[in-house]
Amino acid sequence: MIRVIGSIQAIGFATYKEWAAYRSHMAVSLLVGPVYFLVQFFIWRAVFEGTDTLNGFTLEQMLSYFGIAAVINYLTFDFADWNLQMLVRTGKFITFALRPMPHWLFALAQKLGHRSLGFMIEFVPIFLIFLFVFGVKLWPAAPMWAVISIALSFLMNFMVNYCVGLTAFWLVRAEGVRRVFLLLKDISAGLFVPLTFFPEWTQKVLFFLPFQFITYVPTRVFIGEYELAGYSIGIPALVALQVGATALMAVLMLLLYHAAMRRFTGVGV
Amino acid sequence: MKGVFACIASVLRTKVAEQMAYRSHFFLSVILLVAGDLLVPMITLLVYRSGASFPGWSLHEALLIQGVFGLAKGIAFPIFFGMVGSTLSLVREGTFDLLLLKPRPALFMTMLNGLDPEDFGRLLSGGVLFGYALSGLPAPKFNGWIQFAGLFLASLAVLCAFSLLLSGLLFRWVGSSRVYDIFDSVTSFGMYPGTIYAKSFQQLMTYVIPVGIIAFVPASALLGRAGWETAGAGAAAALFLIAGIVYWHRMLRGYTSAGG
Repeated sequence: MIRVIGSIQAIGFATYKEWAAYRSHMAVSLLVGPVYFLVQFFIWRAVFEGTDTLNGFTLEQMLSYFGIAAVINYLTFDFADWNLQMLVRTGKFITFALRPMPHWLFALAQKLGHRSLGFMIEFVPIFLIFLFVFGVKLWPAAPMWAVISIALSFLMNFMVNYCVGLTAFWLVRAEGVRRVFLLLKDISAGLFVPLTFFPEWTQKVLFFLPFQFITYVPTRVFIGEYELAGYSIGIPALVALQVGATALMAVLMLLLYHAAMRRFTGVGV
Repeated sequence: MKGVFACIASVLRTKVAEQMAYRSHFFLSVILLVAGDLLVPMITLLVYRSGASFPGWSLHEALLIQGVFGLAKGIAFPIFFGMVGSTLSLVREGTFDLLLLKPRPALFMTMLNGLDPEDFGRLLSGGVLFGYALSGLPAPKFNGWIQFAGLFLASLAVLCAFSLLLSGLLFRWVGSSRVYDIFDSVTSFGMYPGTIYAKSFQQLMTYVIPVGIIAFVPASALLGRAGWETAGAGAAAALFLIAGIVYWHRMLRGYTSAGG
């Protein structure tokens, strides 16, 4: 166990150093994040003219929702799908198949390293910009629950993306599938608009899908209240539900991973 | 001119043949482009379904702006915007030199190299949305169509200028794929009615970073909400395009490599 933790630390640190060489790539978020938020600010300010609440949100809560969702996204951002598909398509996966560590754990360690750098280059500056420039309330209602929820969202985002990446073992070129799926995932996670804006029947479907646990649930845990498809759930119960969904997703990912490994053949690179 | 069209036709044929090698990927990508372009209209629809609206804009009027945006992208992306991707990969690989050796202007060769038939799918989403929006509005007058046509050309000029600015940037900022994020975020201001922004911000969006010309100004012309003062917007688009061309050539002069 200690050796595994040591390996995760080493891989994470190597990824951190690798991406630190391309820090300007990450620092673009300092422009892109506030610009997107400014667009949201103008849109919702106009939409809320003449109305105080919309689908249970006041203007202030709506701006908080987008601000919180954006900063959480910087903590949980993931591209394991792209990476895995690239390794499979180019044949480089074989070098990972030979290592004494499952690739999913290697990818998770890489994500930890990548997001550690993202924490400093993206999360902290944007958190401060949103807090002091836009005046977004960024203090969680229940800090402990918020931290747990974001940690679970980090894992859920990774596992969903990794499962998408695993499709490369069955499809020759899975880029199209990946992009379609990721778009649906972002919509269903509530990244573009809170899920309560969807029609009732859509909300009921979204309630039973794992995607809400990536953005919508941690954002609502951060705010301190949750409602979807007519269900209002307390924060501790919601986080417990998130634990269950994350565990289920982990089982699904491992099953898919083992099926993919049985299918994999390589001839060297 | 005949040679230019022959080059474009030839490259398009090759690219379509290349895409047909991975047909399922090609068709999925087109579907994705259509779905992706309908995302903002979907959010607009959800907002209007909730009983809210952009003040002074009906659902069909707001969708018209987004439809014009889609149409402009449907033409500009397959023709000009691919040069961003080709500059990105060729400069990173050090093979941009090959374009400089060919017997045509470097800018034209970069554009040719970036031609992307996949992006024509955007015309479908933009066209459908444009048609749907118009179906719920009174028929525009003839003058409105004329004005729209002129401003739509200005919209294409602005998108072309953006692709030149981003492509030029990549000669110095090698391999940064995040230029697309910069483009998406900055132009997202242009997908909504300009009247939701402060007056000074509207001026900025029309004359300085003219993202408002991409869709809002042409759509306003079609709705009969814009006078002939929009000629100023056309001039701003022309100046922006010239600035883009000058910038691209200046940045090209700074390109160095070791021969690919």
